[in-house]
Amino acid sequence: MEIILIPIIAALVTAGLGKRSNVWISTLLSLIPLAVLYTYFTRFGVDNGWKTIFDLTWISENIRFTLGFDGLTGMLLLLTNLMVPVIVMAGIRDDENRVKLTALTLFMQGALNGVFMAQDGLMFYIFWELALIPIYFITLTMSGENAFKITLRFFLYTFIGSLAMLASLLYLFLHTANYSFSFEALRAVELSRIESIWVGAGILLAFVVKIPLLPFHSWQADTYTHSPAAGSMLLSGIMLKMGLYGLLRWYLPLAPESIEFFQPWIIGLSVAGVLYGALIAIRQKDMKRLIAFSSLSHVALIAAGIFTLTAEGLEGGVLQMFVHGVNVIGLFLVVELIEKSTGTRLLGELGGLAKSNRSFMIFFMLLALGTVAVPFTNGFPGEFMLLKAVYMYNPNMALLAGLTIIFCAVYIFRMVQFSMFGEGKHEVLSLKWNEYVAFGILSVAVLLIGFVPQLFIDVVHSSILQIVTWVSEAKGVLS
Amino acid sequence: MIALFITFFAAVVILFLGLNKKESSFSNLAVVALMASSICSFCNAKGLCNFAILESWVPANMMLFGYSEHMFASLLAFISAVIVFAFRKNDNLGTDQLGLIMFSLCGAFMMISYQHIVMLFLGIEVLSIPLYVLAGSKKDSLASNEASLKYFLMGAFSTGIFLLGTAFIYGGTGSLELEMMGIKPSFMHAMEGMPIPTLINAGLILMSVGLLFKVAAAPFHFWAPDVYEGSPNRTTVFMATIVKITAFVAFNKLLSTFGGIHNTWSGWLCVLGMITIVWGNLAGLVQNGVKRTLAFSSIAHAGYLVMFLLILDESKTWILWYYGFAYALASVLVFLISHQSTTDKNPVGFDMFNGLSKRSPWVAFALVVGVLSMAGIPISAGFDAKFYLFSFAWQSSPWLVGVGLLGSAISIGYYFKFIKHSFLVKVDGDETAVEYNDKGLMMLIAALLLLAGAMPWVLLKWVF
Repeated sequence: MEIILIPIIAALVTAGLGKRSNVWISTLLSLIPLAVLYTYFTRFGVDNGWKTIFDLTWISENIRFTLGFDGLTGMLLLLTNLMVPVIVMAGIRDDENRVKLTALTLFMQGALNGVFMAQDGLMFYIFWELALIPIYFITLTMSGENAFKITLRFFLYTFIGSLAMLASLLYLFLHTANYSFSFEALRAVELSRIESIWVGAGILLAFVVKIPLLPFHSWQADTYTHSPAAGSMLLSGIMLKMGLYGLLRWYLPLAPESIEFFQPWIIGLSVAGVLYGALIAIRQKDMKRLIAFSSLSHVALIAAGIFTLTAEGLEGGVLQMFVHGVNVIGLFLVVELIEKSTGTRLLGELGGLAKSNRSFMIFFMLLALGTVAVPFTNGFPGEFMLLKAVYMYNPNMALLAGLTIIFCAVYIFRMVQFSMFGEGKHEVLSLKWNEYVAFGILSVAVLLIGFVPQLFIDVVHSSILQIVTWVSEAKGVLS
Repeated sequence: MIALFITFFAAVVILFLGLNKKESSFSNLAVVALMASSICSFCNAKGLCNFAILESWVPANMMLFGYSEHMFASLLAFISAVIVFAFRKNDNLGTDQLGLIMFSLCGAFMMISYQHIVMLFLGIEVLSIPLYVLAGSKKDSLASNEASLKYFLMGAFSTGIFLLGTAFIYGGTGSLELEMMGIKPSFMHAMEGMPIPTLINAGLILMSVGLLFKVAAAPFHFWAPDVYEGSPNRTTVFMATIVKITAFVAFNKLLSTFGGIHNTWSGWLCVLGMITIVWGNLAGLVQNGVKRTLAFSSIAHAGYLVMFLLILDESKTWILWYYGFAYALASVLVFLISHQSTTDKNPVGFDMFNGLSKRSPWVAFALVVGVLSMAGIPISAGFDAKFYLFSFAWQSSPWLVGVGLLGSAISIGYYFKFIKHSFLVKVDGDETAVEYNDKGLMMLIAALLLLAGAMPWVLLKWVF
């Protein structure tokens, strides 16, 4: 509970302090949940299933305010509470919007922590919506001329998705024995295949919009491009993981009978998305837009890996969720710093930035290598596991999806080349302490996961095994 | 009963003491009296104190205050206190309006506790007549006079229909006592082959028309937008909250009496509910005035509450209580903010909220909370209220719940107009700067809505 309340209180404190707050205070406030998370890991451990760590009667006796913790939750909480300080520290410009943006980011941290810990279906839905509110305000008030149009499209997509999910959850709720929204009760509902497909479709819609998978992605590029950097980072680095987490935690266990029906569709769309995102990214001139499409491509691969339903695919998926969060936030941070000092982020207008600031170049290169999935950087192990899992499902699919490694190298190195090398047109200002610290955290994450991925896989291992067991049990019932 | 006594005597005292004085100097006294009746009713319901001597004043077959009646009386008195306090800053001469509000509230108490149709009729009249006067209390405004006349003519007409229904019911059942009335038709229904007399059916429909008029449910809602718009804000809030909740409590009592023959009336009531929800929300979308939009929003809320009438479970009155609590607080909050935002330049339209987030961020925050609560967005009390209502009504009227969900989705369209104007529309210069009083009260109501929304069970455990 603390981990949800503290960021929300921190947001109120920041809003209350107004101009008097500074980056020190907000960074310290955003770091407190990380300490709380450490105590969670030591107190509850990551084995023995999804343990309830907080329980309160809420809307009725059977609709309770329950928070759970296990390896999967822990991993996502680690991502959230490690990355939000990075965003607060370095991703927010010191202009008129600083206070508002910081407060909304901190509020978002609390809501996201709630999403990842909610053990009750209704609570999950509420936190899911709550996490949407700050980003709604961020895009609405701070993303330039077309703000309303962009926000409306983004909002309609996600809101219709959420409503479909709510309808599915309500359907399950009405079929539970004692009108309960708890995860266990919802999972215990026996559905016929047709029912399961409809329920599954509702839940899936919310998640594939958020991920986003191919036909539901059209909100993404504009929203990422025009939001302030912090908004793009939150959306791509953490919020998008809500969709993937939802697949693992809520879709697979609640509607396992429908997986067989959706599996070929989702994997097919994902592989198509992998290629589509990569090919479009190659042609982009705007760095933010480039990263947006690169993110589309990377995340689609995670979805494909999850839907192979092998332990390897799921574990690779979770690992890659973390890795993608680190890399994409790092890249957006790089673009933000470039834009802040040169005033542009178009590749054609940039060049030779490496000469002016060497350490910045090193950090950028490290993140770029991580994104391209060079061995011993963080992208490699996860991508390898995912591709292997897809290969086991269908070698041809894996062949197509594997092309992403080449394409990714093309667009990322193109971005590095055009912005960093060649004729010097602009200069990057020297980094300040907070930017050094932020890049430091990101670099450590890149290298640590690259060298010892097993450390992170072990955290989620038992949770993933549990989910895979449930899925295979449900398949056993069917056949 | 205690609430009725305190409110009535306080109203008389305030009316005569303040004959030639400023109203604002007596508002606090009225608030204290209303809070006292709220607290006394609450304590009486909880058994903390007992006013049995007062109960014997009226025979139990006319008026009876049980647990839920006390709770509703407590809620209504509390909301009235908030309304009077929120709108206390005015320079009316004489305390007649304060007195009328409190007399009207006495009528509400009679309506929620009636055991005899005569008492219900008296309650409706005591509730309505002060409102006819209050609607026209802005004497120099044409709209206010129009509202008063419209409300009076339509109200008198609907009361006539109600009385005709009463006569039919008396003819059909031979009694006007609530307990006796339901027996005959239920008995007839239980015996197979015995048709229910047309008199009873017709009487029930006519009485329902009278009550549906009071709650502004379609197709008896035509008066509502004009009257809401023309009346002074305080009267509008009072009509939108107290009158609506009261009429639903009374209506629910009446229909539960005829619960045995519910298949004769649940059909058309369900259809009326659907029409109300759809019409209220669709018409709300195309309004330009703030008060008109809120009027259609309140019509839509009446449609949702029709679901409650179809649940027909004595033990579920807490749903209505909670819904009334959430809806009334949010209404008071939104009306209060729009009342204070009104300027000569922007008298009715949504432009009055332009740039509110810049001018006064906390007020903008309170407005967002109030509007989201009315829309039923999670962690506001409005969400939980809708959730309880919809999930319990699912068994008895699934189609109505479906329409209700659809309607809630549509309603977001016009509720977001408030947010759009206060956050998105930029204003140059500060010519529209308005001083907001009572920021503390606004934040308090917003906090109450959020707290009740986050922890509804705590509140309900405590109350019911």
